[in-house]
Amino acid sequence: MKASSFRKLKAALLCSLVVAFGYTVSGSVAEAVQAQPTAKPPAKKEAPAKIDPNDPASLIYLDTAGKPAGVGGTAAAPASQAFKAGMGWHPQALAGTGLPKDRYGLVDWAKLVRENIIKPKASLDPDEEEMPPLKMDVLIPAKGDFVNDVIYPHEMHTYWLKCEVCHPQIFVPAKGSNNMTMVGIVQGEWCGRCHGKIAFPLTDCNRCHSSPKAKK
Amino acid sequence: MLVLAVPALAGAAQYGNMTLDSKVESMKKAGVGPVIYPHDKHEALFKCADCHPKVFKEKRGTNNMSMKMNMDGKFCGSANCHNSPDAFPLYMCTNCHTNVGAKKK
Repeated sequence: MKASSFRKLKAALLCSLVVAFGYTVSGSVAEAVQAQPTAKPPAKKEAPAKIDPNDPASLIYLDTAGKPAGVGGTAAAPASQAFKAGMGWHPQALAGTGLPKDRYGLVDWAKLVRENIIKPKASLDPDEEEMPPLKMDVLIPAKGDFVNDVIYPHEMHTYWLKCEVCHPQIFVPAKGSNNMTMVGIVQGEWCGRCHGKIAFPLTDCNRCHSSPKAKK
Repeated sequence: MLVLAVPALAGAAQYGNMTLDSKVESMKKAGVGPVIYPHDKHEALFKCADCHPKVFKEKRGTNNMSMKMNMDGKFCGSANCHNSPDAFPLYMCTNCHTNVGAKKK
């Protein structure tokens, strides 16, 4: 009886010793296994995880050629102030804004104004008075017999621009005194000073040539 | 109505350049000259059936084209042609019209 209980105690002791030894060994092994990956990830994180230039939410910096230049910090910890600026205005961000587009995929700024989607300040100078848009349409007859006449809306243009932007250098402010030609406009004169550059292009003829001539 | 100055060459579909000047009076007012249409260039790119008779009737003088019709998506300005990214746009006046700016004041 005594001997058997002693033997049991010995077995239990041995067992616990084995367990304890095994724990320390396996623990240190597990630590070693865990320690390896924790050392590696920082190196992995430096490489761009996923850059999808078409995804407006992807945090990317573009170089001057428009190619992804790399990722900065995270949204929680931006790498620099440029991060914030970049989030506000770049083509990818623009694509995600849902601004109305025309049938050429360009932002339809006139529609933006008409539907009050944006309200830009009239001037950076807080003291400057805002001039209300000039409600004056000018009928510009097309020279040929067939092409629709142009209705030029001062209202939309004066929403963005002051009179001095166009008058008198680009357009003499008197009806019929500007001998405009489509060829000249294509070459960057008159309307072509802006349209085709910063304003919608000349591709959609009927956007301007909108008033049909009396039938001949 | 459509007067074509270049006669059809004897043989098959070799039309070369065709002069389109039925609206020459209106063209003059607009400061452009007649259109020289390079039929052979288009022959090299398309099959006859791509344009005829759906877009252009084959018979000369029956189409009554005008710049307005082009702008409205007919004839040269058809949806897959010079009113699309596939070909140069309609505002490239000098690509088709001759004597552009001749009457410019």
